[in-house]
Amino acid sequence: MKKTACLMFLFLWMALPLVAQSDEEEVPRSINESTMVGIGGYNLRDTYLSPSTDINYTGWVARILNERMKVVRLADYKISRQQLINVEFGSTRNGAETANEYAGFVDYSLGYHYRFTNLLPGLKVLTGASARLSGGFIYNTRNSNNPVSGKGDFDLNLSAMAIYNFKIKEFPLTFRYQAEIPFAGVLFSVHKGEPYYFLTQGGSDGIVRFSSFHNKFAMKNYFTLDIPVSNFTLRVGYLNSMYRTDVNSIKTHVLSNSFMIGFVKEFVSFGGKRLKSNAHRYSSAYY
Amino acid sequence: MKMKTSITYYLLLFCILFSGCEEATKYNSSPRDNFEALWRIMDENYCFFEYKKVDWDEVHDRYSLLVKDTMNQYELFDVLGKMLAEVKDGHTNLISSFDMSRYWAWYEDYPANYYKEIQDNYLGTDYKIAGGMKYKRLADDQIGYVYYGSFSSGVGENNLDYMFMHFKECKGLIFDVRDNGGGSMTFSDRIASRFLEEKMLTCYTQYKKGNGHNDFTEPNPVYLSPSDRLRWPRPVIVLTNRHSYSATNDFVNVMRLLPQVTIMGDRTGGGSGLPFSSELPNGWSVRFSACPVLDVNKQHTEFGIDPDVKVSITGEDIMKGRDTIIDRAIELLLAKADSIEAASKSKISSAGLAY
Repeated sequence: MKKTACLMFLFLWMALPLVAQSDEEEVPRSINESTMVGIGGYNLRDTYLSPSTDINYTGWVARILNERMKVVRLADYKISRQQLINVEFGSTRNGAETANEYAGFVDYSLGYHYRFTNLLPGLKVLTGASARLSGGFIYNTRNSNNPVSGKGDFDLNLSAMAIYNFKIKEFPLTFRYQAEIPFAGVLFSVHKGEPYYFLTQGGSDGIVRFSSFHNKFAMKNYFTLDIPVSNFTLRVGYLNSMYRTDVNSIKTHVLSNSFMIGFVKEFVSFGGKRLKSNAHRYSSAYY
Repeated sequence: MKMKTSITYYLLLFCILFSGCEEATKYNSSPRDNFEALWRIMDENYCFFEYKKVDWDEVHDRYSLLVKDTMNQYELFDVLGKMLAEVKDGHTNLISSFDMSRYWAWYEDYPANYYKEIQDNYLGTDYKIAGGMKYKRLADDQIGYVYYGSFSSGVGENNLDYMFMHFKECKGLIFDVRDNGGGSMTFSDRIASRFLEEKMLTCYTQYKKGNGHNDFTEPNPVYLSPSDRLRWPRPVIVLTNRHSYSATNDFVNVMRLLPQVTIMGDRTGGGSGLPFSSELPNGWSVRFSACPVLDVNKQHTEFGIDPDVKVSITGEDIMKGRDTIIDRAIELLLAKADSIEAASKSKISSAGLAY
């Protein structure tokens, strides 16, 4: 628990300078937001659901991914903030096609990146860290007292991104690649062979574990291409996500490759007092 | 050459980045592979090898000789099903799309001691149904009779309240769980909590944290608290037979601890291990006992619990359409009620429904 508290403190400390700095405002910093839907392949294995086997379940996954990025005041506007909300649901079958496994995950990620903007024309390189809170389940329809494997993770991640603006025959495009790897965190896992029913009877020792590379390897590789079309911007993408854990004698992997499509908008957000003091900057249909 | 090197480099980088790409597990019908997989699943997860004195390595060697690469799926299923039956466990099954192997000798080899047609002579057609319970007043409305045939049939708190209210004038209660093959322990706890006066230790649970046959956790004491709704403090008789199994066995394991409760009928079927499931490469599912539930003396009840009063249905009663066990239960409850009444007259108090 001490490790958990330290991790929480570390991240809160990273985010602290942002709290005390939103009064003065010059040029409003715009927010880049995209909402994408995706579909792709899913590959699951969980030895709580299929003990003493190495059987993979494969099928499809559908996801919705919302992303927001904004430059913040930190380090003289050289740091940007990224928030990601991902909701996914997948359906899989075993190789013999006799059993189904369904999985669903929701995760929220908050990241800060230092921006290197002068390396090459059109290129921005961002490096930083993020914190992710994730929860979900894998459900096997065939099982008796081990039908569900619940997942809950809090991670600190190393995160890096490259954004490249370029043109093909005067047509402006923006390519982005982002990689994220968790290096420390905490996660929830029952023990091998322990029914969830026992958790209600006081058998909850050791179900929250410190996680790092010794028992968890996860990674996200995220590629997007922004294509301006008429008055809107189309974003197409590809998300490769890996999640592997070996905790409390339970091995799990959740692997996916998803093709994504959605729209991007760049907007300035006014809210609260800023909304009133910047009335000359906008014409509202509501206020 | 340089171009080739850089392509190789990028391919290598791509492979590192996407090393998470795993193949789907292909359907594997090899008799040998499936035999070994089943043996290993049991070896690493089954919880009663030591208690039942089963030498699982010897079982491997004996059955390995029966597995041939040329055998068809039905022959393989037969061999694997027989191998599982070596552990004599009603919670252990092999399940394919065409059959389910099972070991049911724990009730098939014994007198039924429950006949629905005879029970109908007591329930008639005007009994009430609440949740999974059928209930009716018997013996001139002096005795409440409840038949609960499956712990998989939900029983709500309101169901129990209304049932107890229906029996509020009754002197005793028969709770019949004969032929109840089990289900959810949640319902077992919910019903048992209506008969408790105070929080009590009811059992210990443990599970296998490792792959060794004895890699168990320390037994974890489990307590049950009295319900804060209607409770039944008057005499109760729980009727059991050899087919009272699994969650029903756990229910009897709790009820037998209570002072106002008598267990009557035949020994329960047992089944004190919570089953887990896994699967074979050919897609067959396997279920096995994984987590033992121990009684308050930390003893297994896998092979059943003896009744306080052993009663069997006699051939003569069967001919008459009478259920010997229900009749004896009514008799005993009325006798108990009389003695309580005699005692209460001297104390000028009576036991009513408790809140």
